[in-house]
Amino acid sequence: MALSTSEGTSTRGRLPTPPGTGGPAPRQQRRTRDSTAHRLFIAPSILSLVVLGLYPLIFIVLTALSESSLGRPFQEWVGTANFEAALGDEDVVASLVRNTIYALLVSAASVVLGVATAVALFRSARSGALIRTLLLLPMITPPVVVGILWKLIFNPSGGLFNTVLTFFGYSGDPVSVLASPTFALVGVAIADVWEWSPLIALLVFAALLGQDPEVTEAAALDGAGGFRLFTQITLPAVAGTIAAAFLIRIVLAFKVFDLVYIMTAGGPGQSTTVPAYLIYQAALQQFDLGRAGTITVLLAIVVTVVTLPIVALTRRLHND
Amino acid sequence: MTKRSSRLANLTVGAALVLTLVPLMYLLSVSFMKQGEISSGILWPSSPEWNNWVDAAASRLPRGILNSVIASLGGAVLTLVIALPAAWAMVRYRTGGKTLANTILSPWLLPPIVAVVPLFALLRVLELNNTLTGLTIVYALANTAVAVWLLEGFVKKLPVELDEAAQLDGAGAFRVLVSVVVPLLTPGLVAVGVIVAVLNYNEFVLATFLTQGPESQTVPVVLSLMLGERIQDFGKIAAASLIGVIPVFAAAVFLQRWLVAGLVSGSVK
Repeated sequence: MALSTSEGTSTRGRLPTPPGTGGPAPRQQRRTRDSTAHRLFIAPSILSLVVLGLYPLIFIVLTALSESSLGRPFQEWVGTANFEAALGDEDVVASLVRNTIYALLVSAASVVLGVATAVALFRSARSGALIRTLLLLPMITPPVVVGILWKLIFNPSGGLFNTVLTFFGYSGDPVSVLASPTFALVGVAIADVWEWSPLIALLVFAALLGQDPEVTEAAALDGAGGFRLFTQITLPAVAGTIAAAFLIRIVLAFKVFDLVYIMTAGGPGQSTTVPAYLIYQAALQQFDLGRAGTITVLLAIVVTVVTLPIVALTRRLHND
Repeated sequence: MTKRSSRLANLTVGAALVLTLVPLMYLLSVSFMKQGEISSGILWPSSPEWNNWVDAAASRLPRGILNSVIASLGGAVLTLVIALPAAWAMVRYRTGGKTLANTILSPWLLPPIVAVVPLFALLRVLELNNTLTGLTIVYALANTAVAVWLLEGFVKKLPVELDEAAQLDGAGAFRVLVSVVVPLLTPGLVAVGVIVAVLNYNEFVLATFLTQGPESQTVPVVLSLMLGERIQDFGKIAAASLIGVIPVFAAAVFLQRWLVAGLVSGSVK
């Protein structure tokens, strides 16, 4: 971030006239004018990167290294004391581990369901615009509404989930999914999978449509059919897209906040407290910006470590 | 493609439709239930309780919808104005180099909650905190990176010859952008604009912590406040949720083609 910023702004005044690129003078003049224009073109985007990326990043790192409250940030530099405190805090470590497992499982579920739906849509005669639009609805529903929706479904008194359980012969006490330390996170995960699997389905469906039909036809002529055609031709052709979709999905799962805020408020106990929720509690309930900043930095490290192998995989699959 | 696999495909599509639509139908059903019916475990009310819808319409919701529409459309237009020149220069002239191309999406990696305090501090300095203008500007900047990333896919598909021809005719970079690139890229601009507007409309964290008071609260904030009321009126909340999603669902139905084109452009460029 920092590198690109200085590159974009500080050299704007300098006219880049590479020596040796001769040619008629007026033309060269226009070229310089144009490349100045191109820098002006990226300047507003760089500015928004600075305001929404670099500035919060510096702010957060500085709070993580200092004693900071909401009212009085940056009171005193404390070095790594905040990090020692956070890493010694079971709640912080547990929330980072929890979100990592959550992100991997939710993303795997979304990819399986999304790919299955995409392949089915691709092979089904019933894949018109109406059906595709209906299947996309969850991902354009506001997450707050998704949270409300699943809170109602898991409502122990008369929610859809318990009604269905009773219908299938369950006769015990009503199950309160979101009040159970074991199952509350599963409840949030189900809402999350419902919301974002359509995105995977859409991206993979588009990739399937974009395949080279000649390759598939040739393979079919060579006698590959059904399952073999799918695993050896179709799947490898869209593997890069699936990997990219998995990457997007993992990042979305690490950012989960609205669903937790609406459905469980981090509870019961700490059972659905993800780092984003912990950051919210630290900054806006306990007014401890130092702690909030520290958890943010730790989360950034965890997200980077988890996603790097997938980024590498995506690049490799796309280059093949 | 045998007959059997296509029957399996139809079944899978059917199952996906059921899993997608049943929760939404349940929300619709609850929106017509009386308070007592909600807790009695029925699937459809005996007679529709229209009062839930009347109560929802009489709440802060209509103002919230207006605020949401203003912030999301205003933010989306500003985002396009900021992002298009950058996407074009980055694709055609490699302006900013690899560094910019690789770092542009990095702010998207962390949950927006981490930016709330710094942005609040910034808006207070600019005296824009608690205003719809402030929120609109934050949305415009917040989505620039995603918009650049998506627009790149559309710019790459434009034939280079067209802007080169315009340049040979003596048009400067700005002229080429406005009179050649923008008209050719209209479908891409609409597609990305729709996506960004939907993202803005659905955004909750920044809206709830950067705005206070009914004159700047958006739909997700109004809904979350209804959940926080002392007596939770689930029928009213369900009706309000459904009224609140009308704008985005309408956008999905009428602009489906563009929405899909935009979402796909980023991943398969």
